[in-house]
Amino acid sequence: MTGPFARHGASVRMQLDDTEVALLRDLQVGLRALLAEPDPDDPVVQRLFPACIVGDDAADEELRRFLYGDLLASRIEGLDAIVAYLDRGSGHRGQLTVDLDEEEAATVLGVLNDVRLTLGVRVGIEHIDRDDLDDDHPAVPTLAVMDHLGWLQENLLAVLDPPSVA
Amino acid sequence: MAVSPPVTAPTREKEPDTFDEVTPEGPWDVIVWDDPVNLMSYVVYVFRKVFGFPEPVARKLMMDVHTKGKALVASEPRESAEMHVHQLHAHGLQATMQRSR
Repeated sequence: MTGPFARHGASVRMQLDDTEVALLRDLQVGLRALLAEPDPDDPVVQRLFPACIVGDDAADEELRRFLYGDLLASRIEGLDAIVAYLDRGSGHRGQLTVDLDEEEAATVLGVLNDVRLTLGVRVGIEHIDRDDLDDDHPAVPTLAVMDHLGWLQENLLAVLDPPSVA
Repeated sequence: MAVSPPVTAPTREKEPDTFDEVTPEGPWDVIVWDDPVNLMSYVVYVFRKVFGFPEPVARKLMMDVHTKGKALVASEPRESAEMHVHQLHAHGLQATMQRSR
């Protein structure tokens, strides 16, 4: 049994369970809806488009506005790409296999991160102490999803850039 | 190759009287801030990708972010700092820039 990511010739082969595929499809829909009409007061939007310059509010505002369009477009492109990769995969016995080139693999890594960032803000991770959390805490299911996506990220990094996980 | 000298040497309209006027735009510091979601390995990867740092440098800076709450990752001209802040934000890291002190 290989992990979810492995070198396969010149490609990075992604093998996801159907439940993981369904989860990614579901989560990208949620993030896409949020990015379709970004609310500047939404903490997720503030996290994905953070402050740029410290000590000069006018310059910060100007640079944020300048970078915003590109950042938004690249995030939506990432979501489009994920859907396209999942759509072109071949399914077999509850598993989807997709061969990615380096750039596509990096895109998957970035989307996994955007999704985790979004879930983290939604669940209020800044105020959660993982070491002191009751099993019935409402954040537990979301944290489990974040952990699983993080595990996928670690596995992908080990293939895409082994020194980073050394 | 010989070049004929100019008839008159270029002159400054006004001599600068302070260092600041010679270099009106000093370097800017790019700072990466800690956050509870980004994986340590992912931050190392982003530092390697965005700045081309060797792994030990990227890992030391990541550990600074992790243990001290932030790390100075570059001190450079404003345009480069803006480009790096952009790339770091695109990768989901919290990065800001400020004038070097």
